Amino acid sequence: MAATTATRRRRTGHGSPLRQPVTHALLLICGFFWVYPMLWAISGSLKSDSGFLDSGLGLLPHGAHWNNYVDAWKGANFSGYFTNSVIITASTVFFTLLFASMAGYALARTNFPGKKVLIGVILVTFFLPRGYTIVPVYDIINQLYLLDTLWSVVLVQVAGAMVFNTFLFMGYFRTVAKEIEEAARVDGAGFHQTYFYIILPLARPMLATLGLFSFIQSWNDFMTPLVFTLGQPHLRTLSVGLYAFISQTSTDWTALCAGSIISLAPIILVFVVAQRHIVAAIAGAVKG
Amino acid sequence: MTSQTTEQAATALTRPVAPRRRRSRWANVKENRWSYAYIAPFVILVAVFTIYPIIASLGYTLYQWNGIGSPTAYVGLDNFRKVLHDNIFWRSFGHTFLYTAVLVPVQLFLALVLALVLNNRRLRFSTFYRSVYFIPAVISPAIIAVVFQLLFSNFGANIDQKLISLHLMHKPLDWLGDPHIVLWVIIAIGIWNTLGYNLVYFLAGLQTIPEDLYEAATIDGAGARQQFWHVTIPGLREIGMIILFLAILGSLQVFDLVQVLTGGGPFYASSVVNTYIYQEAFGGGFSAAGGGGGASVQPNVGFASAASFFYGLILLVITGGQAIAIAYMRKRRREMNTAAIEEARL
Repeated sequence: MAATTATRRRRTGHGSPLRQPVTHALLLICGFFWVYPMLWAISGSLKSDSGFLDSGLGLLPHGAHWNNYVDAWKGANFSGYFTNSVIITASTVFFTLLFASMAGYALARTNFPGKKVLIGVILVTFFLPRGYTIVPVYDIINQLYLLDTLWSVVLVQVAGAMVFNTFLFMGYFRTVAKEIEEAARVDGAGFHQTYFYIILPLARPMLATLGLFSFIQSWNDFMTPLVFTLGQPHLRTLSVGLYAFISQTSTDWTALCAGSIISLAPIILVFVVAQRHIVAAIAGAVKG
Repeated sequence: MTSQTTEQAATALTRPVAPRRRRSRWANVKENRWSYAYIAPFVILVAVFTIYPIIASLGYTLYQWNGIGSPTAYVGLDNFRKVLHDNIFWRSFGHTFLYTAVLVPVQLFLALVLALVLNNRRLRFSTFYRSVYFIPAVISPAIIAVVFQLLFSNFGANIDQKLISLHLMHKPLDWLGDPHIVLWVIIAIGIWNTLGYNLVYFLAGLQTIPEDLYEAATIDGAGARQQFWHVTIPGLREIGMIILFLAILGSLQVFDLVQVLTGGGPFYASSVVNTYIYQEAFGGGFSAAGGGGGASVQPNVGFASAASFFYGLILLVITGGQAIAIAYMRKRRREMNTAAIEEARL
């Protein structure tokens, strides 16, 4: 008796046939407004200049004016910005994963003298007040004669991502069974062979997760490319180029929308493809 | 290399005691030379771009310096004294705390409600909804700034006129230019921007609550509301503390969003600590859209470093306190669990 009332209650609480459509309707309406600014930008990128002003907050363009994309791509040099973004992001992801996994492997698997001191120093820097470090970093880049190069941006981004990624790799490599490695060593594999042919392939899930994180972070980074490429407008990334574009043009709004969409598309594409993976990785960050 | 390692392994096997005892530190270092090679890029990058800058910027706090050349005008602790007496610093400080105090509860409440709705296994398309609400979290602040600036400038004939006709306001609003509302607009955009992370965190937390607990509660005759208060909320307590911790820390460090939306302007009405420090350090010289805070100031790296160091100390106290609270809660919980197990054994 008690059980039947309980099941009935539960059914009305969660999955009653009447409540589901209401939930869906609410989720859809709120969701629409949630992504409305982006939908509006997509539609704006297809409107004509006069249509953009007339339709205000409306979403439907009258016909597709793809020439906004041509204006942004060629006229406002978004093609150049896009190339810069791709070079910087690809290099940052590659070097972050390479250096962090190498260090993570050495820290997790070998007991070299000085290891404890090293980990201690890094933990302490976590808790030190950060200070205004961009000024000394700017100074270092300047002294390395790297100011106004794409490499300066890559270097600063990779360095900034080092500690977080290395610690995650270290934690991951500790969970990999030591026997696999020892078996490899018995079979005659050296340090490098073990790392490249045994350890890295085993770390594929971690490489994917951290690769996605670095991709999003590097692609969306605004301050690093802004500060380190200030003297060379043609080295701007999409984020910086887009932001500079809004101060240059107060009229070409449709091209601005198109520029926004060009900057946004790769991130959304990656998000849609790797959605489950990204969400699982973010969720994992608080579970531990 | 390969043969050497196996050789070493062989020696270690045949003569296990004697050589190990005599092995010097140097031999140990030599044996691990590849480990050093593997950590070298990490060590160099961290030393040059993280540790050295922290120490250097600590040194800057003692100088009056505009960032060009080397600092020479030694002023002792004068910069710290200036920070403590700087009105705009404290105003920015207040704005940052207001931002945090409004954004965190509102965002976490909305994220929790949404997570509870989406966590229902019988709800279809819940992955789709999750993506929709998560998407703003992967959008770069630069794009957000551009799209919202365009959007607000198109409010004119639509939203503003309607609000006026409803007598909710008297004249069209300059959403990012009116000092009275600009901070609130930024808070709203901030809530929208990062809610997705907290949604995913809460969903992860909800999934750690064992289904048996709900079943047991159902058998005991607990209704949906009772289950929520007695199963869901206690189950979320620990992860909830971490979510709260991250949300507070993130909000207190807000920078990008404010910098690109207003640069702290107009006239410091939306200035937060980090945008103020940034403008003091660069005098607005590094803003792609021109000066933000309303006035272009002479760069003062010493002052900016001191302000930043001082604020870092405040953050350290806040986060340290929170971390201790979380650790204490965990410990108490573990003790309670072991006590319960002991009790069950008896």
